Amino acid sequence: MMNGTGNFLNRTDTGDRELALQEVVNHKGDFLTLLRHANYPLKIDLPSETTQHAVDVEIAHSTTVVAVRYRDGVIIAGDRRATAGTAVIYDRAEKVLQIDRHSVLAISGSPAIAYEIARILEHSFQYFRRSQLQELSLQGKLRMLSRLIRDNLAMALQGIGGVIPIFALYDLGAADDENGGKIFFYDALGAHFENVNFATTGSGSIWIRGVLRYLSRFGDTPLHEMDMQQAAITILRLLDIASEYDAATSGYNAKVQIFPTIKTVTRTGVNTVSDDDLATWYTEAQPE
Amino acid sequence: MRDEPYRWIEAIQDRQDYIEDQLRPGSPVVGITYNEGMMLLTISKGQRKIFEVHDRIALSAIGHPADIERLRMLVTDTASVQGFQNATEDINLHRLTNYTLAPAFKQAFESIVGEAYIIKMLLAELGSTSERNQFTGINFDGIVRTNATFAVIGGTGAIETGMQNYLAAAQTDTDRDLTAALRLGLETWAVGKELSSRESDETESEDTELDTTQMYEVIDTAREEGEIEGGVLEAAQQGASKFRLLTAQEIEAALK
Repeated sequence: MMNGTGNFLNRTDTGDRELALQEVVNHKGDFLTLLRHANYPLKIDLPSETTQHAVDVEIAHSTTVVAVRYRDGVIIAGDRRATAGTAVIYDRAEKVLQIDRHSVLAISGSPAIAYEIARILEHSFQYFRRSQLQELSLQGKLRMLSRLIRDNLAMALQGIGGVIPIFALYDLGAADDENGGKIFFYDALGAHFENVNFATTGSGSIWIRGVLRYLSRFGDTPLHEMDMQQAAITILRLLDIASEYDAATSGYNAKVQIFPTIKTVTRTGVNTVSDDDLATWYTEAQPE
Repeated sequence: MRDEPYRWIEAIQDRQDYIEDQLRPGSPVVGITYNEGMMLLTISKGQRKIFEVHDRIALSAIGHPADIERLRMLVTDTASVQGFQNATEDINLHRLTNYTLAPAFKQAFESIVGEAYIIKMLLAELGSTSERNQFTGINFDGIVRTNATFAVIGGTGAIETGMQNYLAAAQTDTDRDLTAALRLGLETWAVGKELSSRESDETESEDTELDTTQMYEVIDTAREEGEIEGGVLEAAQQGASKFRLLTAQEIEAALK
């Protein structure tokens, strides 16, 4: 369809304009197709010799993100530390990113790729809604993220661009509020799995996964019956535990009042829990 | 034909008459501001007429549905790509209208051997402050008009003048709420609809002399075949996207 003269935005003569209009009305709300037509580079090609070392490299994912299904939807959190090797290079990183009014992506892995995936995802959902005059379905959103992660496989295998996210959203089509919150875990190839009650990923996740399982099965208040405050306090404590054992994860930094990022996804939309609320709850939740 | 200027001008005039005849029965669109943002309002028959273009930009149009769809996609695609490649803050209505839409309108209108766009478009942009709000109308010949507080599109210039006169006279309360804005928008729409239903020589009077009761009779009659459609850009809307369609409850509340 595309000729070699450039993208549709630059065409001025009548023939080109007609072709351009034909192209823009023919696609079906796919933002990636639109970006390709505009010659936006969606993939980065590395020298072939780099790939020879691919199998020896483990995907780096230094962080801890965690999502829990609670009474009104999903609560999802991430620590704020960014590291390069053993160095802490930033202590206010945002790893929990709002994608649209009812979905959030928590990222672990390469920040550059993860932020780009989140940005493409956000614009893709918006573009579908604006062009097709309806929201992209839940399955459509899941597959879009799968596609972006799969397209990034070469970078992931080379150990410099792996992304393992958690995708949390609220399904407005759910029959009742209790079943609206959904948590999906992705692997590096783009396969997604729905987690019923919780999901956690990143280097610190191994230290808290068992605790989450214990709380889910044997806790006085099961995770899915917790209110927002209970769930937030539980998550703060879990990230504190992860930070005790994992150098790449930060907990609550009392000296400069830096808390993890915590967002809720409910029928009414995405909400960020304020630092003031977190400070109060964290203090109240300390053992006497 | 381009070698004979007189015939070219005649062809352009014929084309203008043809397009205006096609646009005359179209359902007018009203754009007004209110205390929380901006509103586009019309009564449509089955086919949606008010659209979100980008985070702070909405669009409506009258004309042939295929032309509306084609140009809506052009401006939506342009805004989406530019917003992604640069930043969403770099998208503004001035650039979209003057560099993308208006040239396309003008070129199609003056290419007398090609198809003309049967369309008039009205776009709204929510500014960073209410003083920066802007309505922009684009005529089928590519002429652009902007206004900060209200704008209309109707089938002919006389219909638009009649609607503008009604709106200008009602501009005493600029701090109106959503319900008041909806009522004013509907009344203005009724003025435009009444003018468009008259014979072309009568329309030139630009004055309907309708009282409020008669206006709502015009609206009730139109609602038998269509439905009221409103879209708003609200500064307080959560997230980057400020557009939403009005709910049936909000519309019914304004009609009580």
